[in-house]
Amino acid sequence: MTRYLTPQKIGLLCLISLYCDGVVPSVSVIPVLSFILSHLEVAQFSSGKSKERVIGYGFFIPIRDFENLTMAHSSSVPGRTLFDLFLNKLWSINSLDSLHSFFDDLEQYLAKGRNVPHDVDNSELSNRDRILLSRTSPCGAYVRRAQLEFTRLQFDDAIKLWAAFFKYREPTTTAWKRRHPGTRTSVNDASIQDLDNSHDLFSIAMANLDIDDDQTGLVAADDIEAILDFQVQRLQRLGNRIPDEMKSQFRKMLTPSVATPSLLHFVRFFDAWRAGDYTSAFDNLHRYFDYTMHNRDKSYYHYALLHMAILHADFGCFDEAIATMSETIATARENQDLNCLNFSLSWLNHLNKAYPKRMKGTEYGGMIGSEREGIAFLKAKARESKNYALLSSTLLSEAKLRLSNGDTAPKALEQLFQSSHLNITHRITNNFGTQLLMLSALYGRIGLQHLSTSYCDLILDCYRDHSPVEEALRAICRNAFTAAQAGRFTQAMSIFQSIDPDVHRTLKFHQYLISFSGLLKLRRALRRSDITAISHLLLSLRAGCASDPDLLFQFSLLEIEHRLRQQDFPLALRKIEDVNADLENADTDIYQRIHLLILKAQLWAKVDRPELGFSLAMRAAALSWRSRILPALWEALGLVVGILNEMGECEAARGILASTIPHAIECGDLALVAHLHGHMATAHIGLAGKYISIPSSSPSTPSRATTPDFSPPVLTHLSRAEFFLDNALECYTHLEDVEGQCECLMKKSIVARVRGDEGVSEDWAQRYLDTRRKAEEEFGEDRGEAGMRI
Amino acid sequence: MTGLAKSELLQLQLHLQTATIACTDRCLYQGAKWVAELLNALPTSSVEEPPGYGSDTDIDSPTSEHQPVTPTPERGLNGDLNERKLEQKEMKRYLLAKTFFDCREFDRCASVFLPKTLPKGQAIPNPTSPHSSANLSQKALFLALYGRYMAGEKRKDEESEMILGPQDGGVTINKELNGISLTLEEWFSNRHSRGLEGDGWLEYLYGTILAKSKNEDLAKKWFVRSVHLYPYNWGAWLELSSLISTVEELSLLTEQLPQNIMTFIFHVYSSQELYQSTEQVHNELTQIQNIFPDSAFLKTQRALLFYHSKDYDEAESIFSQLLQSDPHRIDSLDNYSNILYVMELRPKLAFVAQLATTTDKFRPETCCVVGNYYSLKSEHEKAVMYFRRALTLDRNFLSAWTLMGHEYVEMKNTHAAIESYRRAVDVNRKDYRAWYGLGQTYEVLEMHSYALFYYQRAASLRPYDPKMWQAVGSCFGKVGKLMNGIRAYKRALVAGSYYDGGTGNSFGSEGFGGGILDPETLYAIALLYERLDDREECAAYMELVLSQEEGPEEDDLLGGGNERGGVGVTPTTSKARMWLARWEFMRGGYQRSMELANELCQDGVEVEDAKALVRDIRARLESEKEDGTRAAVEEVERKFGRKT
Repeated sequence: MTRYLTPQKIGLLCLISLYCDGVVPSVSVIPVLSFILSHLEVAQFSSGKSKERVIGYGFFIPIRDFENLTMAHSSSVPGRTLFDLFLNKLWSINSLDSLHSFFDDLEQYLAKGRNVPHDVDNSELSNRDRILLSRTSPCGAYVRRAQLEFTRLQFDDAIKLWAAFFKYREPTTTAWKRRHPGTRTSVNDASIQDLDNSHDLFSIAMANLDIDDDQTGLVAADDIEAILDFQVQRLQRLGNRIPDEMKSQFRKMLTPSVATPSLLHFVRFFDAWRAGDYTSAFDNLHRYFDYTMHNRDKSYYHYALLHMAILHADFGCFDEAIATMSETIATARENQDLNCLNFSLSWLNHLNKAYPKRMKGTEYGGMIGSEREGIAFLKAKARESKNYALLSSTLLSEAKLRLSNGDTAPKALEQLFQSSHLNITHRITNNFGTQLLMLSALYGRIGLQHLSTSYCDLILDCYRDHSPVEEALRAICRNAFTAAQAGRFTQAMSIFQSIDPDVHRTLKFHQYLISFSGLLKLRRALRRSDITAISHLLLSLRAGCASDPDLLFQFSLLEIEHRLRQQDFPLALRKIEDVNADLENADTDIYQRIHLLILKAQLWAKVDRPELGFSLAMRAAALSWRSRILPALWEALGLVVGILNEMGECEAARGILASTIPHAIECGDLALVAHLHGHMATAHIGLAGKYISIPSSSPSTPSRATTPDFSPPVLTHLSRAEFFLDNALECYTHLEDVEGQCECLMKKSIVARVRGDEGVSEDWAQRYLDTRRKAEEEFGEDRGEAGMRI
Repeated sequence: MTGLAKSELLQLQLHLQTATIACTDRCLYQGAKWVAELLNALPTSSVEEPPGYGSDTDIDSPTSEHQPVTPTPERGLNGDLNERKLEQKEMKRYLLAKTFFDCREFDRCASVFLPKTLPKGQAIPNPTSPHSSANLSQKALFLALYGRYMAGEKRKDEESEMILGPQDGGVTINKELNGISLTLEEWFSNRHSRGLEGDGWLEYLYGTILAKSKNEDLAKKWFVRSVHLYPYNWGAWLELSSLISTVEELSLLTEQLPQNIMTFIFHVYSSQELYQSTEQVHNELTQIQNIFPDSAFLKTQRALLFYHSKDYDEAESIFSQLLQSDPHRIDSLDNYSNILYVMELRPKLAFVAQLATTTDKFRPETCCVVGNYYSLKSEHEKAVMYFRRALTLDRNFLSAWTLMGHEYVEMKNTHAAIESYRRAVDVNRKDYRAWYGLGQTYEVLEMHSYALFYYQRAASLRPYDPKMWQAVGSCFGKVGKLMNGIRAYKRALVAGSYYDGGTGNSFGSEGFGGGILDPETLYAIALLYERLDDREECAAYMELVLSQEEGPEEDDLLGGGNERGGVGVTPTTSKARMWLARWEFMRGGYQRSMELANELCQDGVEVEDAKALVRDIRARLESEKEDGTRAAVEEVERKFGRKT
């Protein structure tokens, strides 16, 4: 494998020389030049800054492309197409020596440099109708680079290039022969065509160069490095894996060469890492840095450590990760590499936030002080060094910190928009995904569910190619979650099914997706009271969710809910206390704490001690109001209302609910809406009860005895209650919440009885029983289904 | 020699077979290759083996009784039996030693048969050591000592480090030589005291070691002895040939040699090495080729003979055939590349380089071919790189040293050039190109007396090459020995004419047509005479230069009508013409001077000077005419006694 030159590059040089010879008529100049340039771009920018240009241009130009291009244009030589002339050029290289001369002759197409004396006037005269390339023009630079690279070739590499070129040119043999019927038989090597058995000799001379293999010689080390660069970029930034067919093609390309570029090990490392192959990831990382060490001395050492630390953390070895990271920071300081230093700090920050508990145990504490300080430091540094990518991501993490501390939304929004501005003005495509995701989360918090969803869609539709796969996945999961919350469970599942199967090849993503969909299923199973599925899912998720703190929290919530539904209150309480203790230890997102408060309040409500839950619910409501987590606020208010109902303050409850329900509907949480509707119905029944004002005894006995003779307000309240019950029932049916349905049906039956419609009441009671039975029958199906899904 | 009888051919075949096996047994790979090649060059049809004639019959079978070509070595049957018994006994150890050698573990190979330490320098001879070596068969002893020698060579190469580096002064010596030669001396004296002779191989080894330690006369003696005892060891012949530096020596030596086919081949080879491309050598070669019609080696010798006589086309075609018949043969491809270089056949040279590289890119020959190619493309740095690679592969690879010297001259690196040339002549003192290159380099440095010395060496190697003598002449001129210079130039003239007469045909080579003398040389002689103030001689030579323009008279030509005109007008002849014109002008031969000057104007060379000269002549003629008229007037006046 040559370093740079490939047969197709010779083809391009032929085309350039045709252009310079002035045989390209002016009509065809633009297509020819744009063809040349489109391929030069690959060559020129692959090593330059804008690596993204690599995408979209092929490295390999089949000879057919040249043919198609030149065939279409006639040349300024009468009766000849450009293709004829191109063929002539191509076939004028008929021996190894003429290949050498070809590269020597390229000099004549270049304008004389400034320090070359213009003494040879007559040669310039003869070149008058020839287009001279400026030495710094794209074509000129390309020609010069090609010349230089050819000079650098060892003799046997030159032979290989010649052989590859010979092979590359082969498809045009018939065309060439047709155009030159008079030429001598030999199409091999002009230097030996007068010998008798030139063909044998030629095949011997080419023997060891395995001409049969398609790939040999067609790629240069330079190209491979560019491809690898591209891969590293994809792997590093987007986090996906190398497709299998790419891998096999790569292997084919690399087998003939002895020198494997060290970057390949890096690619392998990433691939193994993504695949969750811990050992070979380590192996390859070490190999990469061993091979890189000798040519780029120690300046990349800290990058090695950085990757190692991330790798450790990825596999959950925090002690090692922190140790490695400290070393990284030390080395980066020594080498005064600000970028690396900043990145390490922000990464540590991130890690600290994601795994606060684990980090506590690793004696990490005093390294960067508090989080706020760390962020301030990073921000200052980023401003100082004009590192806008860092600044943008620091702003994002600051906004996140604010949100999780329960600060007000406007400030966070301001920071998000600042970051967005930076992203747009400085084209920091990496951060778009994160920023939009945060925006979506923020809108979700303040109860604007539709906005949140549309931001997720924005990520998926517009920025998918630029943002890491992980963020796209999070957006997908959020959408699925929203769908599930609104009771569109099948839609949620189909979202999961529509994910590109390639994503599952990365272990982390696979685990995340499985856990997330498992959580959704668990929620559904809880509502359906599908005990087998629940126990199965609980078991399998307990292991799966451990990797992601968010998922773990969700899981704990569901676990508690399960206990509550099972009426296993002591256990539920203990679980709540446990989780709470965990949260207390670290400064976690306020949202999670509010949720725990709500759950606790629910617990008290369930055990018929609503007074105990009242203060909790009020605290939750106050907290969520302060930090503008509106869905939580409505939920807390729902609890408060339940307590009020319980205590007979039905009017107040009704008032609160009347203003809450519309907001709750806006939040898109169907369960919450159903809940609130249920409370509303209760409140109305309570109000109706006040008008009846029956002496205190059990409410059912007098209703049976007395005839249904109610005052109009009572009737109004009762019908309202029925209306809300219907609403709630509808919601519950939608959610497939058996308990909720049953409760509603029971209440309806009671209301009917209160009204005196015994028959209707019986009907409802019958439906209640049916629902129960149906749910019980469904378990059988569900069991199988759940078993299969997980 | 022509047409050997069938039995003789069979005999020869048998000998060659045995020789191949013997060489292989002793790990003389190159020798074995050479003999095997020769063996396969025998015409196959004539050497059909009669049934029952076992090819594995060993050398001492009764057939060896009628050996007409080789003199029967005077080795007693007794000794032979003894040898074979010893060989039988040490078979196991021999096999071990041989495998070690094949794996290039030379020291280990030696230690199988020899005590761990050999006597070094003038150490007191170990009483047991002669005993121990006497108990060995000669084959084993040879292998062991040869292994030791190779180990020393390897170490020597390693110590020399980089080519032309600080350690590579060509002075590192093989430290084992002394020990080996002591052992061998002891062994021989022991053997001879018992009235026994060796089998030829040990003599060869001893000769090699003597030659390495520059004890050349003695070495020659031992080689001669070796080839007497065993003529089919090509290595011995090669070494012997490298020790011969003149033709006279060769003819002296030939008398001492046995009369067999190997001697013939040797003679042809040595003559070729000494650049004797005479009719006689060609004839000898033809005779041998009758026996070995397919021998690539002999064909190469023929091509080289043509090359020496500057008959490049012929040489090229022979090499080209060789290439076609055996494309994987890299031996002597470097010579082929030299020929292609001189003929400037760049595409072909590129192809040969490609072929060689495909076969084996790490052979010194291959590297030389590639280097030559780059040199022809004027990429001297790359050429040097490849020559260096060749030398790293084989420090004794002569042509690479010389060619590298040429490249360094091109790159104006005179010091490196001198060192390279020096190393070349150290390897082979018969390489006239290196001597000549040394001379040239010193001339560039304007150290003419040094240059003279080297040119003289080159000229003595190539007495019939006018270029050498010209160089000698010019150097003499520069150091002020004018008469010597003239003599050298005259020698060059003679040499030039010799080549034309000697080879009879010279297609497009440098030589001039029959009877044409080199005008440059003539002009140089003329200039030297001028410096000697011998104007007459000078003028005569200038005239000679002029006469070369037309060439000899029509009737002098042999074939009549073939295109052997003169050299035509060249800058040199023009310069001569100018000189003559001026000279005539000074002598007062205005008419001739005028003619010459006008000719110059016609030829369009030095027109301005010529015109000026013409003007001068006119003026002089005018003034003379005036003088004449005045004289005539005075005459008349005197006649008529007019008085004023």
